[in-house]
Amino acid sequence: MELFLARLFDGLSSGATYAVIAVALVLIYKATTLINFAQGELAMLGSFFAYILAIEQGIPLYLAIVLAMLLSAVLAAGMERVLIRPFDPADHLPLVIITLGLFLVINAVAGMIWGFDPRSFPRMFPEGDVWSMGIARLRWYTVGTMATVLILLVLLTLLLKKTKVGLAFRAVSSNLESSGLVGVRAGPTLQFGWMLATAVGTLAGALFVADPFRQLDPTWAQRVLIFAAAAAVLGGLDSLWGALAGGIILGLVESMVVGYVDWIPNQMGLAAAVVTIIIVLLIRPNGLFGSKAVERV
Amino acid sequence: MSEPRHITEGTTAHKVYRWVPWAIFAFVALSAPFWAVHTPAFSIGESTLTFSLGNLNHAVAYMVGVLGLGILVGYNGQISLGNSFFMGIGGYLTATLVTDDGWSYLATLLVVLPVCFIVGMLVGLPALRIKGLYLALTTLGLAAVFPSIVRMEQLRDRTGGANGKRIESDLDAPDWVPLDTMSDVLSGIPLVGEWAFGEGGVSGREADAIWVYFLLAVLTIAAFWVARNLIYSRPGRSIIAIRDNETGAAVNGVNVPMTKTLTFGFSAMLGGLSGTMYAMAIGFVAPDVFGINLAIFLIVGLVVGGVGTLSGAVIGGIVIVFVPVWAAQIQSVPGVPERFLRGPTGTFFLGVLLIILTFFLPGGIVYGVRKIRARFVQVVPDREVAGGDEIVVAAGDATGGKMSRHGGGSALEVDEDVLDPDGTEHGAAPDAVPASAQQPNQGEPT
Repeated sequence: MELFLARLFDGLSSGATYAVIAVALVLIYKATTLINFAQGELAMLGSFFAYILAIEQGIPLYLAIVLAMLLSAVLAAGMERVLIRPFDPADHLPLVIITLGLFLVINAVAGMIWGFDPRSFPRMFPEGDVWSMGIARLRWYTVGTMATVLILLVLLTLLLKKTKVGLAFRAVSSNLESSGLVGVRAGPTLQFGWMLATAVGTLAGALFVADPFRQLDPTWAQRVLIFAAAAAVLGGLDSLWGALAGGIILGLVESMVVGYVDWIPNQMGLAAAVVTIIIVLLIRPNGLFGSKAVERV
Repeated sequence: MSEPRHITEGTTAHKVYRWVPWAIFAFVALSAPFWAVHTPAFSIGESTLTFSLGNLNHAVAYMVGVLGLGILVGYNGQISLGNSFFMGIGGYLTATLVTDDGWSYLATLLVVLPVCFIVGMLVGLPALRIKGLYLALTTLGLAAVFPSIVRMEQLRDRTGGANGKRIESDLDAPDWVPLDTMSDVLSGIPLVGEWAFGEGGVSGREADAIWVYFLLAVLTIAAFWVARNLIYSRPGRSIIAIRDNETGAAVNGVNVPMTKTLTFGFSAMLGGLSGTMYAMAIGFVAPDVFGINLAIFLIVGLVVGGVGTLSGAVIGGIVIVFVPVWAAQIQSVPGVPERFLRGPTGTFFLGVLLIILTFFLPGGIVYGVRKIRARFVQVVPDREVAGGDEIVVAAGDATGGKMSRHGGGSALEVDEDVLDPDGTEHGAAPDAVPASAQQPNQGEPT
């Protein structure tokens, strides 16, 4: 029982962080039907922004994270304008290639500037446990991360459902051409989508490395990108709440599979994520909560 | 700009135009190891860039990997990022068979090629339903998983775990290969011979490295030859038809699922061959060699060389090996802090290259070369031989003056890009490279 609870809590805490990056992927996918392969690296970059602002500039951590989110949103606005917008959104290969190029560049730039030595990120939540039973510890970190994800999703839902810019965003993601006909400017709206996604990614990055068991270095996001993508696919690529569900399920699968099946080594959680992606895409391509895609020939 | 020169097909001028580039390419390919074995160095500012035979062999091995990816992505239109996975299988199978079971390198291909072909087909099966971006995502996951698989405790005996595996076998140059004589001949070339190729004669170690180069070169030529024949044969037309219009291909009788799966298998097989060649070239395999970065580097090689060309893979292989090597050798750049230069500058340059080419030269270097060449020389058909009115002349064909000849009614099917008068406007996207760019182009070393 203790062991089960321990693994449950582990799964919840990593699942919640996968969910936040998955939310970032979903935001971009909703806007442009593009999977942003650079999303993980953007989150990594954002976590470094927060770290630098908090540690080297001495800004209070929460403020530093908000500033880092704004900073990365500005960066994303520029990127979208210069690198993404010139391409036809319906033609996937060039866009995939551009995001892969960004993946390499961001990863390399972070490595060049900050090096590969692991750093420890300041604690976002109090140390210690909310509740514990033997080795099963429900840490403040887990609770804090879950709470942050829920608040984030509620805010995003409100933003998309209740505000004018959210309406424009939904119009563009529902039908690019028709939204243009009724006067929605697609370019700035998609740009807004990129900014929003990258800011969310930065928050996700900060949450991820704020776990006392993890450290900050330029490579942490490579693995996480696959998990986040698996979470997004599982939840349905265009569903925000689906991303949360996908993330949690995936985190639980990872901790349970690795924990209970003896012959599966630790690193194979990643394989579980990839197998999840394949199975979901084969059996239920729209994920658990995604809207059905209709392909006309 | 002056009028391009017209060369009539079948004349001596046309033969020269066709075969001289090949001859130059053959000479360069043959003499390169004798040059590289002395590790020539070039100084740029305070930095010294080297061109070593080890790196050249590495590049030759990657050419085949890029070729395999190019057939899948460039010709079949399946966006796969997972070919590093198959390279890893090839590399590790060869490593373990050579070291643990005492096989010879080339014999391991008897296992590597079928295994990779079958695994590739198995990966290709879900790819029938998983398309486009989703396929890219799935295969990227596959690439990311490979290092964890070979690090598994259960496989440690075979794979060497996280430390990688050194291959305990030496490829020794046999006596019957006249490497010494070749070296002497090359250094006997007037004026430049001794400067480029040294005094002539090669030591034992040098001879072994040169021997590996020639083995790799033979495998590479075989791979390109098979790939070329595949692409220009009936199955190749099916492969391309699926890329251009899957429904249309199916309507015209192409067995789409079968063709796609087999293409995946073939691509994976070339990946496996490339992995074996990597093992031959480097003599060491490690988990992170075949990770997510290699998967993306292969895409860089493909895009830089030219999506939808075979010859681009030669350039691609060279670029993805030498750009990181040279980037790491750059010691100082004015205005850039030195600690930046100690970071992963190679990855940085490859990423920048990828983005820049996608913007400014989406067809890659091969395409750029063809465009420039078409400004100066155009091949026109011999009207008397071909019979007058059934000929469509590609007036400004950017594929390097390759003409299109259509008999009878099929003249109507000419790709409009072929008729494009100035030959400069082509699809903005790499996968929109017009079909004419994929035509055989014998003037180009493929």
